[in-house]
Amino acid sequence: MPIDMSKYLGLFTSEATEHLEALSKDLVRLEQEKSPDLVAAMFRHAHSVKGMAASMGFEGITTLAHRVEDLVDLVRRRPELMSPEIADLVLAGTDQLQAMVKAAGASELQPDANPVIARIRGRLVALTGNEPAPTRVVPTIATGEASAPAPAAPPPPAPHEPGMPPRFALKIKISQSCPVPGVRAFLVHKKLGTLGNVFELHPPLDDLKAGRIPEGLVTMQIEAASAEAIRKALSVVADLETVELSRIEPKAGPPARPADAQPEGPRAVGAEPARTVRVKTELLDYFLETVGELLLSTAHLREATKAVPEAFQGPLEEGVGRLHSIVKDLHDKVMSVRMTPLSLITDRLPRAARDIARKCNREVDLVVSGAEIELDRAILDELADPLLHLLRNCIDHGIEDSEERGRLGKTLRGRVTVTGRRDRDRVLLEIEDDGRGMDAARLKANAVERGLITAEAAAAMTDREAFLLSCLPGVSTAKEVTDVSGRGVGMDAVKRAAEDVGGSLDIDSVAGRGTRFVLRLPLTVAVVNVLLVGVGEEIFGLPIGKVEAVVEVDPAKLSRSRNSPMLHHDGELLPVYPLGELLNVDRHQAGGARPHVVLDAEAGRVALEIDRLLGQEEAVLKPLSRPLDQVTGLAGVTILGSGRPVFILDVPRLLAA
Amino acid sequence: MAKRVLIVDDAIFMRNMIKDIFASGGFEVVGEAANGLEAVEKYKELKPDLTTMDIVMPFKSGIEATREIIKFDPNSVIVMCSALGQESLVMEAIEAGASDFIVKPFKAEDVLAVVKKVLGE
Repeated sequence: MPIDMSKYLGLFTSEATEHLEALSKDLVRLEQEKSPDLVAAMFRHAHSVKGMAASMGFEGITTLAHRVEDLVDLVRRRPELMSPEIADLVLAGTDQLQAMVKAAGASELQPDANPVIARIRGRLVALTGNEPAPTRVVPTIATGEASAPAPAAPPPPAPHEPGMPPRFALKIKISQSCPVPGVRAFLVHKKLGTLGNVFELHPPLDDLKAGRIPEGLVTMQIEAASAEAIRKALSVVADLETVELSRIEPKAGPPARPADAQPEGPRAVGAEPARTVRVKTELLDYFLETVGELLLSTAHLREATKAVPEAFQGPLEEGVGRLHSIVKDLHDKVMSVRMTPLSLITDRLPRAARDIARKCNREVDLVVSGAEIELDRAILDELADPLLHLLRNCIDHGIEDSEERGRLGKTLRGRVTVTGRRDRDRVLLEIEDDGRGMDAARLKANAVERGLITAEAAAAMTDREAFLLSCLPGVSTAKEVTDVSGRGVGMDAVKRAAEDVGGSLDIDSVAGRGTRFVLRLPLTVAVVNVLLVGVGEEIFGLPIGKVEAVVEVDPAKLSRSRNSPMLHHDGELLPVYPLGELLNVDRHQAGGARPHVVLDAEAGRVALEIDRLLGQEEAVLKPLSRPLDQVTGLAGVTILGSGRPVFILDVPRLLAA
Repeated sequence: MAKRVLIVDDAIFMRNMIKDIFASGGFEVVGEAANGLEAVEKYKELKPDLTTMDIVMPFKSGIEATREIIKFDPNSVIVMCSALGQESLVMEAIEAGASDFIVKPFKAEDVLAVVKKVLGE
């Protein structure tokens, strides 16, 4: 009976894509660390794609995957044949395969693989003297006649051999009332991990951590000295509704897995419930926006209840309070769905670094760390291209060729490090090279020559400020526009992209030693905790992540340095800026003590003198539209529960203006 | 004997609230700290049975402080005080050795249920 393979198409596309991405990643690594394990892994990936494509009846993909597999197999058997040309060929094949799989997934005509197949075939014949073996495809889709392999049974449990510590099957249910089941499950996993190895964890750890736990059910197998040990470890964990524990008897005989491991067939689709659903980013954006509106409306409603006669207030407030907590929870959930690891944009860097380095004739090692750190997907999407541009910049302009590096006494291979890390409520993404560094004097001269700044302004600039001149359109120290850099996205676009998502770009460089680009990014774009402050009749919001303290001081009693008021705080003298003056707002003139907000303005801490402190609010930040987005120092606008719009200030920009 | 608790949070409001919750549950609050640096110092000085630890704090985060306290005393019981949306930070804290966590907004009975459980009571 013909089987409709089309229902497997989605799974085929996503799995094949994963294999192909892994294959090219491994290949790039292989060029740096010649490891037989990597070649073996690459072989498995190509092999799996071939098997899957053949079952789906995709002849072109199968044949090309087969040729890639041949090529990798050749390198596996004769490592000395590995060369950049072979790597290029494998990558060309992989890229083509990815394009074909994508087209197949979209049910479009697949691009023609024959030129690449012929190139690989030619190379194989030249290297081995033999014609590669023909490829077999099950023509399921083409004719609908031949039967496809039946969906495979669920994978057998990992082999459990006699002589190993006792193994237990564990099923726990996390209480529905637990607000963060993912963290709860992670804690369980961590506690049990100290007892012995954990197998067959379901949902898998990534889903677990993201809170994707259908009905709160977690199952696993665990090695432990006794059932008692497991019960004891779990006895101190809250929020567990049920715990089921049973011992698994060891199997007699050798492990069930055949020695000649076959690639796994398509995973049984109907056998277990789907764990994830792919959702269009736009839909998530819509959710978030709508939930944001809901939050605002709820705050509005809460204000309105104050005007209701007292007799009705109790139940009304209770209802509104409950509504608020539900909406808040919903909002947090939608936000957390949008949190995505940095690896989304850093995963392609090794491959890009390799291609750029080959093109510019550089030898470069790329080290990525902290890719697991999570950020709002909307921010990551904006940063993909800028990050690539920074990488290009580092390799093309920063890193010297090996000859020059040798002359300078540097290691022959250049090094670019990409590091993600958390700094309070921000994520720092740093891209650093050990190349020639930037020339502040040259940047200044360039900017003056183009009439972008005056010679006086240039003279007064620090080096750090001068490096940022490279972000002005048209200013670059690159001697000539190369094929790789100096086109398309410029440093100005990088800086703008960072600022558009509420972040900033910093450049640090030492001539002869290298350059470091630091992108300072918010975790999310949409919600900010703001401190509401009053100046005169106006109300403004300050992002609370930046606020370190609020102190009451009489302005008349402040110390002064060069006639500017300074505030003693924490053993440091901070410059004081009256917010009213910065914003040209009339303020209350009454004397006496006033609140001063101490905050981190990136270049250092400052104190803002205000009239009144009005409290803290969680604000749904709305971007400013024209012409307000042209005003420096405004990060966005939010609407208070009372319906009053309030500007959120971007203090560093405000001070710089 | 009442179990001894150290409360770490940069907001006085939160500290007071947590203090009241613990008092109502028959615990003895022996100290408070307003940031990660103080937390580590106070811990070494007081050796409490339980520490509640805010995550985002000035000078030194709750995660850093947890890491240092665990290094000093691997058996210390630290419960993280977190908010929704901080899941990945809490998991980082668990990796660092935190025993459990509570989620804001706190309800007294939930907090007491978690800490009693974690202390094996």
